[in-house]
Amino acid sequence: MTDWTGVLSLDLEERRGKTVAKNVYFQGALKVMRPIYHDNSGQVCYYLLNPGGGYLDGDRYKMEISANEGAKVTLTTQSATKVYKTPKSFAYQETTISLKRGSYLEYLPDPLIAYENARYKQKNVIHMESGATFLYTDILTPGWSPSGTRFSYDTVQLVTEIHLDGKLGMFDHIKLTPHNQNLSGLGFMEGYTHLGSMVAVSENTDNALLDELYETIQIEEADFKVGISRLAVPGFSIRILANSTQLIERIFNSCHKIISEKWTNHTPNSLRKY
Amino acid sequence: MTSKILSLFQLCDSNFPTGAFSHSFGLESYIQEDKVHDQESFFEWLKVYLHEQLIYSDGLACRFAFEALLEDDLHKVWELDRLLTVQNLPRETREGTQMIGKRMLQLTDSLYEMPTLSKYKEEIKKKNSFGHPTIVFSMVAHGLEVTKSEAIQYYLYSAISSQVQNAVRAIPLGQTAGQTISHKFIPEITGAVDRIMQLTEDDFGIVSPGIELSQMNHERVNIRIFMS
Repeated sequence: MTDWTGVLSLDLEERRGKTVAKNVYFQGALKVMRPIYHDNSGQVCYYLLNPGGGYLDGDRYKMEISANEGAKVTLTTQSATKVYKTPKSFAYQETTISLKRGSYLEYLPDPLIAYENARYKQKNVIHMESGATFLYTDILTPGWSPSGTRFSYDTVQLVTEIHLDGKLGMFDHIKLTPHNQNLSGLGFMEGYTHLGSMVAVSENTDNALLDELYETIQIEEADFKVGISRLAVPGFSIRILANSTQLIERIFNSCHKIISEKWTNHTPNSLRKY
Repeated sequence: MTSKILSLFQLCDSNFPTGAFSHSFGLESYIQEDKVHDQESFFEWLKVYLHEQLIYSDGLACRFAFEALLEDDLHKVWELDRLLTVQNLPRETREGTQMIGKRMLQLTDSLYEMPTLSKYKEEIKKKNSFGHPTIVFSMVAHGLEVTKSEAIQYYLYSAISSQVQNAVRAIPLGQTAGQTISHKFIPEITGAVDRIMQLTEDDFGIVSPGIELSQMNHERVNIRIFMS
């Protein structure tokens, strides 16, 4: 298709204990930086970036990522995803991730900031084989407007589908339309401003892990609300309502460390952004 | 009133033993946090529960399942069963709904000889499907030749009516207060049906973060009278 604002594809495989790309392609307003190996674990880290600095009216982005057996990869962004006003047509981002048995992929993007009158739709579709591991987080901020009004964006819609061995195993759909909803009220954001979500799918999920994550989260003293629960497939999801990006990031970092150490015997490095 | 509608009423009756009254779907978390504590705060919760969660999941699925049954497209019905189950991220709410669905299927299957019901049972037995009350309800309504909007309306009525009875027991509220809420809530239900008729597939499964979080949190509520 030629009507994409930015296209990126990245296929990863394991070669002699090291995860490397067998295909890297990007075009238009999407770019992937050189691979970074934070330690000698062989796990590769890629920073994805939008050289334009933000998503504009009618922009459409497409990412396709795959990991073969044994590949271990961290995907993150260089900075927050910013969506500016979209008077004509919403901005759209579609990500497809395919994971073979025995691969590990974590996708930990920076928060989403939707500006005044922005409309944004994001679709993540993950196809994984059992024996693969997938970890994903996102953070939704109240956006930004010149007058400082919160929730001044028009629509933010986030859809995530995870297919396990060809069958739909998780479907998550958040759609916030502040003009039609009492967003800060009961049942919505419960008086908080930021929403964090984490989802993980792995055969190694057990109740002990959920208890450990829950206990760890409770150590945090700032004001927030959290829910954690097992999925219909082996895996779990976490939702956090809080008043800052930093707090949600801190909680997710603690969870990420526990998960990574349990599932890959690997202590993650902090994802330094420049 | 036709006997067909009366037959569908039997499924909405609180005496119909599906176990629905053991599930608060997160309401108990709000009651324990004292966010829902009287008639007004419960009414507010009920509105968010209906308009921001139920219509996009059970309500819309009831309509889509009914439409699929009209076209004899059972494959689509099994897809909806899976979608409804896997989009329900809080475990207790998901498993509770599944229990109610299976129980309702068992009961209706013994009351009606409808081929769709027995096929649904087979799909569940083969572990291809999970079981969901809105799918069973749709099948019975379709079999009874009730209209699509009536089916959705009665399904929502029964879901809301269980929650009102739960609130009467758990907050607690007086019986008259409970009936006042049910009475005042009727326009909300008919409004929800109108809205469901206008939604598209792109609206399916939208969740309200707070409601969902309260359903997840119920797993960690210490003293409880409900299973979810």
